Amino acid sequence: MADVKMVNLTIEGRPVSVPDGTSILEAAKAAGVLVPHYCYHPGLPVAGVCRMCLVEVEKAPKLAPSCATSVAEGQVVHVHSPKALEARKGVLEMLLINHPLDCPICDQAGECELQDYTYQEGRAEGRYRDPKRFNPVEDFGGDVVYVANRCILCTRCVRFMDDVAHDPVLSVAERGDRALIGKFEGQDLTHAWAGNVIDLCPVGALLSKDSLNKARAWELDRSASVCPNCSQGCNMIVETRDNQVMRLRPRPNEQVNKYFMCDHGRLNYRWMNRKDRVEVPLVRQAGVLATADWDVALRAAAGVLAGKRAFVLASPNLSNEALFLLGRLVRNTGGAGAFRVPQGDEAPLPGVEDLALRTDRAANGRGAEMMGFARSDAPLSGLQSGDVLVVADEELAELDAADAAKAGALIVIGTTLPAWARHAANVVLPIANFTEEEGTFTNLRGRVQRFLQAKAAPGIARPSFFVLGDLLSAMGDGSGYWTAGQTFDAMAASMPAFAGLTYDGLGLRGAMTAGAMAEVGA
Amino acid sequence: MGFPHSPHERETLVLSKYFGDKDAIGLEGWRKRGGYVALEKALKMTPAEIVGIVKESGLRGRGGAGFPTGVKWSFMKPGDGKPHYLCCNADESEPGTFKDREIMRWTPHALVEGCAIGAYAIGAEVAYIYIRGEYTEALEKMNAACKEAYAAGILGTNAMGTGKTVHVYVHKGAGAYICGEETALMNSLEGRRGNPRIKPPFPAVAGLFGQPTTINNVETLVAVPHILVNGAEWYKKFGRPDNPKSTGTKLFSVCGNIQKPGNYEVTLGFPFKDFLYDLCGGPLPGRQFRAIIPGGISVPIQTREEAENSPMDYEGFVANGTMLGSGGVIVIDDAQNLVKQIARAARFFAHESCAQCTQCREGTAWTTKILERIVAGDGTHEDLETLLEIGENMTGKTICVLSDSCATPVASGLQKFRGDFEALIKKKKVHMVPAAVA
Amino acid sequence: MSAAHNEMGEMHAPAHASHSGHGHAGEEVYVKVFTGTRKAELDELLTRYPTKMAALLPALWIVQEERGWVSSEGMAEVAELLDLTPAYVKGVVSFYTMYHQHPVGQHFIQVCTTSPCNVCGAEDVVNALLKHTGCEELGVTSPDGKYTVIEVECLGACGFNTPLMVNEKFIESVTPASVPALLASLG
Repeated sequence: MADVKMVNLTIEGRPVSVPDGTSILEAAKAAGVLVPHYCYHPGLPVAGVCRMCLVEVEKAPKLAPSCATSVAEGQVVHVHSPKALEARKGVLEMLLINHPLDCPICDQAGECELQDYTYQEGRAEGRYRDPKRFNPVEDFGGDVVYVANRCILCTRCVRFMDDVAHDPVLSVAERGDRALIGKFEGQDLTHAWAGNVIDLCPVGALLSKDSLNKARAWELDRSASVCPNCSQGCNMIVETRDNQVMRLRPRPNEQVNKYFMCDHGRLNYRWMNRKDRVEVPLVRQAGVLATADWDVALRAAAGVLAGKRAFVLASPNLSNEALFLLGRLVRNTGGAGAFRVPQGDEAPLPGVEDLALRTDRAANGRGAEMMGFARSDAPLSGLQSGDVLVVADEELAELDAADAAKAGALIVIGTTLPAWARHAANVVLPIANFTEEEGTFTNLRGRVQRFLQAKAAPGIARPSFFVLGDLLSAMGDGSGYWTAGQTFDAMAASMPAFAGLTYDGLGLRGAMTAGAMAEVGA
Repeated sequence: MGFPHSPHERETLVLSKYFGDKDAIGLEGWRKRGGYVALEKALKMTPAEIVGIVKESGLRGRGGAGFPTGVKWSFMKPGDGKPHYLCCNADESEPGTFKDREIMRWTPHALVEGCAIGAYAIGAEVAYIYIRGEYTEALEKMNAACKEAYAAGILGTNAMGTGKTVHVYVHKGAGAYICGEETALMNSLEGRRGNPRIKPPFPAVAGLFGQPTTINNVETLVAVPHILVNGAEWYKKFGRPDNPKSTGTKLFSVCGNIQKPGNYEVTLGFPFKDFLYDLCGGPLPGRQFRAIIPGGISVPIQTREEAENSPMDYEGFVANGTMLGSGGVIVIDDAQNLVKQIARAARFFAHESCAQCTQCREGTAWTTKILERIVAGDGTHEDLETLLEIGENMTGKTICVLSDSCATPVASGLQKFRGDFEALIKKKKVHMVPAAVA
Repeated sequence: MSAAHNEMGEMHAPAHASHSGHGHAGEEVYVKVFTGTRKAELDELLTRYPTKMAALLPALWIVQEERGWVSSEGMAEVAELLDLTPAYVKGVVSFYTMYHQHPVGQHFIQVCTTSPCNVCGAEDVVNALLKHTGCEELGVTSPDGKYTVIEVECLGACGFNTPLMVNEKFIESVTPASVPALLASLG
């Protein structure tokens, strides 16, 4: 970094120093000034076409497009000068003359940059008195629908498909005010990452069919999270309405997913709203599974485990914290642990290095391995006769029931109770799913990332780390971790792989484990 | 020469001497008229020597911007290890301009020669002549000329036996005014939409195929052989003695409501009044000139009085509030509905906008709608203020100047002929129902 | 189901049955443009440019010369030859006004009506053409399928008003009076 030349300039009276070659727009961001813009996006090549980011640079003859103008030493930039404001007001008016102004029925309303900047800097009233242009709505295939009348031709979608997805199925067609985004008939937005054009679209022109008309932007609650649908660990936002996950969207992380998220991850959320959840602890009494309060259930589970070897079949979608405590259960009982990872096809996003929908369709396989669990396609093969089989949120649907039958007893710690286990389980301890608790996942490159709670768990189900901490206490290993943070910090203290990491220190961008740092040579 | 009319004695025929002479089209006839003597001479000179002479001659770009050609060529750094390209801009599309068409129709070898010299001077082995698709005859003549030149060993990997490589290829456009903008032309040549590019980088740094490139107009390039043969001093003496910044002869295309439309070649600085009345025969019987656009439709409109005061050179037109532009003189007389013609000009730009920049895409179409509404008798006085404000928003804020070009005739028209607009508004036929807009 | 629906169903069944799953009744099988001399022509063009993409406009011209217009199949064929996507090619085709995205009349007549020609009466020439071709309206092909008349922006022959193009042929100095003779000469 030392040999990067720094350039000093003043933006809105604020001195700022940025590396040579930085755009005025990015320099302004660094100075805490947002220059309104549409076509510019940090994850895409610069187009400079919307002309919204015009700013006044002292001594320059014309207003400068701040996205396409590099900083210069001693520059004095005015973002909110009368001249710049007037120019942007002009752009906003032009963008609206053919716009249908149908915000009340538009999905983008509330998160629309055309709306926001018009309120911020636009004219109170338009002067356009002539007929508006009309183009029909078009299904672009995949999850995308194109509402041409709202399109402002910023070309972010075209540039994404071309430069990032390397699958240029979109183009600007026609010219003049007849121009619109075109797609070749029969060639749809079926690329595994095509859904990003929906987020990239600054207005309501590209919409998700999946979330069409489901909720207004202001009705959604948002939580920072990490996508659990593969081992890449894309940072995301979980959006809920009335305790239901409505939409998943990418959350920028320069180190992991830039600004993007694949369609598989984005659309695979319905399981987070499953209605067939276990809501209360269950204990088998007189051959029948009956509801019990937590104390009774935990004691019963501890009783089943007493003096026995625990064989833990763990889900690779459990948090590091849950897996750490399950690992302790294995160690305390001299048992063993295993997991299996569902597989799918890899689908890279070619324009971003090391970003793909991974073959491992679970968030925390690497975490499970680090906690000492054995990865296997036949994870029950190590189960010994007489073991207590502890199934931690793994549905076992395709596993050999005969293997499971070797177990002396069965404890289910899960979000759901699979059909086969209703007859076999001795104790069922209901836990929150990952949107209902907080914790961390370790992605395939060894990056540890936090996810936050997005909604409430059903019934009296409790967070996984909490339930497992209580179970260990009931078995005499009374460490008493009451939060995910306490659990994580204990894990970091006892496991060299996590040395140096703290829960707070991870922040919302995550951090690499020491071992992983060595792997990448950083 | 005043083609298609016979030459006028006050013209200075350098570039247009053989317009209408069928025998000048083919290679044999062209050689008899002194063709390729300049190229032979040039290939024995160093590129720097050629650039020096062109710089000294004062030749300026004839496409519209008027940038000194020799200076432009000197931006091409020799020996940078990169392929260089020359693009000849033969996408003549500026309404009112049709001079390059005649050059290519009658003297195609003059352009091949100009391109070959230009390419050699800037260190390029390849020159592309980008000709608008509508110029079918020019395309045919240029293709034939290139073929002849290759067959005669003038072009190719051993140009005129010197061992030097000079390729000249004709590239056919497909209907887009904006491709006459140099960066749009490069995009079009590369097989893209003809969208102008943001500058910097300038073409001399990263142009066609990302390589150093020079773009010159047809008329500019055909002047070069004459300068090389006759010398910079010879060329410099054409022009007003009191204005050394504009030298040489210039082709002016004249059209509209005038007795003798056509192409005229005069020395820069020629009195515009004499030009209009003496050379071009003045107005049609019983009519008077009312408005004159001297440099293609993108430049400000002049009143007759303003025009009659202008010397015909870069500085002379600027001093009278307009520009020399491409040298396309459009004459509009007192029998015309001026507002309708301004509306038609706006429609041209709306049709040709590439759609990249918001102000241009939307503004050209909006301007057209308002003007057409005024012409139809549905205008209001507020419309005139709106037009001026839209024009302001369309000026100096976009990637290229198409948007500015649309605003120019509207603003200058409103400034100089506001009465015409107001008369139409006063005769207003029906009241508009205000659209439900927020 | 109504009788009408039954009838429709019966009428359609044999038509579909006669096709081996390729397209609908009446659709012709696409014959490639770039074979033989046309392919050789494209190969020669490719030697002129450092990129394949640069041959796009010339390649589209070849398609239009062969077929009279540039169909979706034509765009796809060009895209494949030049390593582009059909959507990209469509974006380029639709930018340039001279490529026809639909079939046009046998004589495609483009009349310049931009300001310089407009002040000299170009609209009268357009009206005369609409009348004598039977097209009645701009952009509509005449009932006999022979003519399509459109307005075009500046043809760059402003001193020879009114200029027009009939397909690839450039005709200068057309007046309303000369229109009938002009049409007769087209055949």
